[in-house]
Amino acid sequence: MDVLLALLAGLLTAAAVWLLLDRSLVRVLFGLALLGNAANLVIFSAGRLTAGAPPIVPVGAEAPLETVANALPQALILTAIVISFGLFAFALALVHRAHKDLGTADIDALHDAEPSPHADPHHSTPETGR
Amino acid sequence: MAAAAHPSKAPPWFGPAFALPPAIAALLFALLLPTVSGGTAHEWTLAWAPELGVELAFRVDGLSLLFALLVTGIGAATMLYAGVYMKEHPRIGRFFLYLTLFMISMLGLVLADDAIALFVFWELTTITSFLLIGFTHDDPTSRRNALQALLVTGGGGLVLLAGLLLLGMEAGTLRLSQMDGAAVQASALGTAMAVLVIIGCFTKSAQFPFHFWLPNAMSAPTPVSAYLHSATMVKAGVYLMARFAPVFGDMAVWVWSLTVAGALTAVIGALWALRQTDLKQMLAWTTVMALGTLTLLLAGSESVSIAAAMTFLVVHALYKATLFLVVGILDHDAGTRDRRQLSGLLKAMPLTAAAAMLAAGSMAGFPPFLGFIGKELTYEGALALTALPWLSAVGLVLASACMVAVAGMIALGPFLGRERRSVAEHPHDPPFGMLIGPILLAAMGLAFGLAPALISGSIVQPAVVAVMGGPAEVKLVLWHGVNVPLMLGLLTFAIGIGLYVFRHRAIAAVDAVVTRLPTTGDAVYDRSLTGLKWLAAAQTAVLQCGRPRVYLAATVAVVAVAVLATLVVGGGLRWPAGNPTPDLLGVAAVVVAAAGTVLVVLTPSRLAAIGGLGMVGTAIAVLFLMHGAVDVATTQFLVETLVVVLLAVAMLRLPPLTRLPPRPRGTAVRDGLIAGAAGLMVTCVLLAVLAEPFDRRVTDFFEAASWPEAYGRNIVNVILVDFRALDTFGEIAVVAVAGLGAYALLRNDRVVPKAPADSLILRTALRGLAALLLVFALFMLLRGHNEPGGGFIAGLIAATAFALVTLGHGVDKARRAVGATPRAVALGGLALALAAGLAGLFSGGAPFEGLWMFLGGDPAAGDKGTPLSTVLLFDIGVFLVVVGSVLAIVFALEEEA
Amino acid sequence: MSPAMLLTLPIAVPLAAAIAAFFVGRAGGPQAARWVSVAGSAALLVVSLALMAEVWAVGPIAAQMGGWAAPFGITLVADVLGAVMVVITGLSGLAVALYAVADIDPARSRLGWHPLYMVLLAGVSGAFLTGDLFNLYVWFEVMLIASFCLLVLGGDREQLDGGLRYVFLNLVATVMFLSAVGLLYGLTGTLNMADLHVALKQVDSPALVTTIAILFVGAFGIKSAVFPLFFWLPASYHTPPVAVSAIFAALLTKVGVYALIRMFTLVFTQDVDYTHGLLLVIAGLTMVTGVLGAAAQTQMRKILSFHIISQIGYMVMGLALYTPLALLGAVFYLVHHIIVKANLFLVSGVAKRMTGSFELERIGGLYRAKPWLAVLFLIPALSLAGIPPLSGFWAKLVLVRASLEVESWLIAATALVVGLLTVFSMSKIWVEAFWKPHPDGDAAVTVTAPTRLETVMLVTPIVLLAAVTVIIGVVPQPFLDLAARSAAELMAPEAYVRTVLGAAP
Repeated sequence: MDVLLALLAGLLTAAAVWLLLDRSLVRVLFGLALLGNAANLVIFSAGRLTAGAPPIVPVGAEAPLETVANALPQALILTAIVISFGLFAFALALVHRAHKDLGTADIDALHDAEPSPHADPHHSTPETGR
Repeated sequence: MAAAAHPSKAPPWFGPAFALPPAIAALLFALLLPTVSGGTAHEWTLAWAPELGVELAFRVDGLSLLFALLVTGIGAATMLYAGVYMKEHPRIGRFFLYLTLFMISMLGLVLADDAIALFVFWELTTITSFLLIGFTHDDPTSRRNALQALLVTGGGGLVLLAGLLLLGMEAGTLRLSQMDGAAVQASALGTAMAVLVIIGCFTKSAQFPFHFWLPNAMSAPTPVSAYLHSATMVKAGVYLMARFAPVFGDMAVWVWSLTVAGALTAVIGALWALRQTDLKQMLAWTTVMALGTLTLLLAGSESVSIAAAMTFLVVHALYKATLFLVVGILDHDAGTRDRRQLSGLLKAMPLTAAAAMLAAGSMAGFPPFLGFIGKELTYEGALALTALPWLSAVGLVLASACMVAVAGMIALGPFLGRERRSVAEHPHDPPFGMLIGPILLAAMGLAFGLAPALISGSIVQPAVVAVMGGPAEVKLVLWHGVNVPLMLGLLTFAIGIGLYVFRHRAIAAVDAVVTRLPTTGDAVYDRSLTGLKWLAAAQTAVLQCGRPRVYLAATVAVVAVAVLATLVVGGGLRWPAGNPTPDLLGVAAVVVAAAGTVLVVLTPSRLAAIGGLGMVGTAIAVLFLMHGAVDVATTQFLVETLVVVLLAVAMLRLPPLTRLPPRPRGTAVRDGLIAGAAGLMVTCVLLAVLAEPFDRRVTDFFEAASWPEAYGRNIVNVILVDFRALDTFGEIAVVAVAGLGAYALLRNDRVVPKAPADSLILRTALRGLAALLLVFALFMLLRGHNEPGGGFIAGLIAATAFALVTLGHGVDKARRAVGATPRAVALGGLALALAAGLAGLFSGGAPFEGLWMFLGGDPAAGDKGTPLSTVLLFDIGVFLVVVGSVLAIVFALEEEA
Repeated sequence: MSPAMLLTLPIAVPLAAAIAAFFVGRAGGPQAARWVSVAGSAALLVVSLALMAEVWAVGPIAAQMGGWAAPFGITLVADVLGAVMVVITGLSGLAVALYAVADIDPARSRLGWHPLYMVLLAGVSGAFLTGDLFNLYVWFEVMLIASFCLLVLGGDREQLDGGLRYVFLNLVATVMFLSAVGLLYGLTGTLNMADLHVALKQVDSPALVTTIAILFVGAFGIKSAVFPLFFWLPASYHTPPVAVSAIFAALLTKVGVYALIRMFTLVFTQDVDYTHGLLLVIAGLTMVTGVLGAAAQTQMRKILSFHIISQIGYMVMGLALYTPLALLGAVFYLVHHIIVKANLFLVSGVAKRMTGSFELERIGGLYRAKPWLAVLFLIPALSLAGIPPLSGFWAKLVLVRASLEVESWLIAATALVVGLLTVFSMSKIWVEAFWKPHPDGDAAVTVTAPTRLETVMLVTPIVLLAAVTVIIGVVPQPFLDLAARSAAELMAPEAYVRTVLGAAP
């Protein structure tokens, strides 16, 4: 099973990278979402898989009575999921705003921060950074 | 020094005031003459950076004292002169500040006995020189020349630093006076060190092939040229070569480099000097000649060579400073420095002419000037050289002959002949302050020539002793008797006078040669700079090409290849053994996730892609659930839902995927390879890790301690809010900030609020559902410590509830339902969590240590009761942050959409 | 104060200030929040100095969060390096907070600039103080999300574009980091860095350990902007307000460098020939490509941005050489660089206010009009270029000597040549912005800021940082001493490990 998960993590990573390299910012966002999933799978598998029992101490016991799943990677993933969600939401808002203000969601059409030396510098570098 | 801040016209006392300190210093140094010539070296040391063995160590021996006297004495004369010369200049304060800083640095340089301290002063002279060459900074040429001097001497300085550091390591000390020449020369790095030091000295002292910067440095005001670029700073390299003669003097690389470069420089300087029409340029090139001569003589191992160098040093400093100052006077009071336009000024400027002629006499080497003694000694010293003595002597004769001609052009040309009035209306001698320096210095050239004993025993000999590193006898006399040097001297006069008489033809001849030269140092410098800029632009155009996709591709490719290569080459590829057989549900989930992935990648439809993401997320949630990760699965599911909702809302505004063409084949192959490498990297490294045994001790501790010590049965939740609460705290900070940030990004473009859904049934249903969800969220929050649930999950559920209200009733209603700005809720939650976390700390325990109280416990029955604690408060904080932040984002998106 | 207090406050203080800044901004108007930033960063400086004093007196100190013994809970720990980094965070944080009083406009204040700024400082402090690898990831993320927001806040076109470039490349880096943490955990079963030091000695698969080490080089390499992973930095650092550029330039890449230093002295020292050898190659190429990049620029902030890269190379060089002297140099360089680089950005901001542009072609005349600014520029610029007797001189001196001592001639030569090219860059700014007359006449050089208070707020931090630069340069011994202690601790991390894990590791 863990081999399958390793393969899936690899597939997700590859797909994520492929999407991140797309011209469309929308696809880049998809890539980000997949990349987060891939990382979570890596942590989950690296903490070794245990089929079944969740890590809960039964009422009346001092400790789990049987072998339970490794709780630590789960906690790490929970943290990572929420962080990724925050970052993803921000990225989404950024893409949204950039699309609105820059008028494009095509990465190759972005020339504001690094205008090519041949372009007219006065055209695309508004005064910023006060 | 406060006067230096005056921005405008200088008062008359300015020059004298700045001249006074160096004059006093010169006197004080003169007081040291008796003891130093008696063989004593005065030392003064202050710890500076003991960690590196660096001291502010100063040492006055004969060599240092000679230079210190030149620096302070000529410094005083220059200051006095500059006070008048620069008095109209609006930034004279800065000028004197730099000049004084330079003088201090130069003094430090010649007195320092610690190699690093010496280098510090060395660099300071470079910087002050830069500021002074560029003093007339409105002129682009000045700026360019200042930069050139900075780069050439600064670059040489860095080479020197490497040499000094190596020397310090090999010699075991940074103290120059304690370095053991034999040990250094025996070291395997001896040659390298010598070469590094030589390069440093050559750049500073304008030796071929680095000589070109010096004539360009003449764009500085004339007092600067006289002081820095003739009398003192450019001699720093000469000083250092003399200083290191005891260390490197026996090495072939040292002898040959100094001989060849010195001789070449002397001849080049002399010939080029002849060609100039600008008197200042002419003097600059003669300075190059003099520096070459000094370098050449320092190659010698006999005391006579060194004595010649030290004497010539004094000779040159006296006459050259004078002549520069005279040229400054001509420029200032006759209006030009072009020798073709100056003549017949003798009557109008008699004192200036006197100074010029006295100095020129010494320069040309006529008896009874000190210059005569210097030249005789120079020839004697050249003939005593180890390498190429005769060739060197011939070179010097040629160069000195040129000096005779140049002396004539400078001291006779402007003053004799028919008076011309074309340049300045009333040329006249300058005020006293400008004259006293040149006249005094020139007179010294005569006085020391008539009475050489004044300097031979007290100044020159101690310097020679210091350079030789042992006893040496020096006796300066005007009349040596008839010998080879005298013959050479007579020959020099003959050629020199000939050159002066037939100067037009001589210059034409030199010009004819010069124009045929393939290049000049100046041109090479320009080409190097252009080349550097081209290289910089070319590399940057490739590396920082401005295309984010290339950046990303390169970044991922580099890391993936490096990691894979390390794994494969190191033989770390492994296949996990005993890996559990996949069950059907697991395989199905993996297949669904893979299918979803492929769908996201391939579909041109945004909706299908979002659906694909949903498939992946759900399948992974199922995989988590199958392997005992209930909380993770729940969270994953909720987050995935929110992501899909956010994407769906935002997507309406973003352009469809079909608008852009698919990537061209070449790019697709490249991206495919990179993506494949990244995937392969993850799979291979993960498999290799899984093949290793696993150490479960941390988890074992959590399982054992969760209930007895942390009072929670849901181990995952206990980790989150107790064992690793700090992670959770950081994480909610991230979420809170993401909320703030997304809000800030979106709120700028507020458009009309979207009308709420207008179906009454839907609204009612949504309201009901929302209420139910809120109750459920509260339930999840409270039970989270013992069963699946907790602050995250509850927060996500509650946020979903409010999101539903938003969809159904609009943002305004939802806002009212929440009762506070979402961002305030989020930050309030963060504050609560922080307070809960710090409560333990402030009550004497550890941060994030829970404070517990138990309600209704029955100790007899082993029941501790219902635990209440700061841990719960912390979890409520988490809950509030999640709710607030998610709502901030949802509201902003909704209001804007 | 107890170690727990000393270690917690540098994180808690700026976070509390962030919350306070948010509510003060809502209650008292956005501009009131400015002073919360100033107070918060000043308080951070004070508590960090207390931390430094304690660490200097007793050696590394640690606090177990929640009272759970290491390696089970999360440990906060400070050795000299950690404490120094927090102090320098407080110092540069305070300087930039003062500058921001005038630099950040009310619109940006209203959007929450000040709380975000404080969160950034908290994230940076957390990263320097945590002894837990996953927790380090969390603090990286705190810092990252705050930096995202600060970078794009206000949303000029240029800022948004720069933001996109920055965000995606950095997100890739954090995912790499996260995966690397997961893999290392899978290999050792622990996340505590001191415990990793111990645990990795028992792992018998050198190739795999080195592989994961390289993955960390990649993740932290992106963060610290080394060749060939630095693209995001010059693509974005010139776009936000100057205060943001300055604090980014001072701290963000340095957190990456810090993480590299920590990981490659404490955790990954199994195959030094390979890992540190690779780092040395990276260091050399980073120095050269960075400085050449700067030489190709004509805009002040872009020049300065590329110089960050080049100087990261020097720090990595110190780590890669991996001798006590080299690490001393790396630590000293870190401290020096943060102060100097922040200051140069601040000066560039003032210069821009006076002349109207960051483009060197379009400005000039500052030397004549504002000689005091010329002095304030020369101090950090010459220091950056390694001119004595300023801080950068000692930094470079130590590194060159360290490389000569181990006979790494090539890297020593590289360091020196890059030094010369740095002189070239700095003199370019000097010549163009200060010496050259303003193309529109020197009358075009105007006042600094609308009000006197604002002018004072712009200039005070520059003077403060310049004074520190001069002090380090003229009185280097205490700072060298500090760096030497730090280097000794890094070369022999046993004391650190003992402090974290308790008596019996």
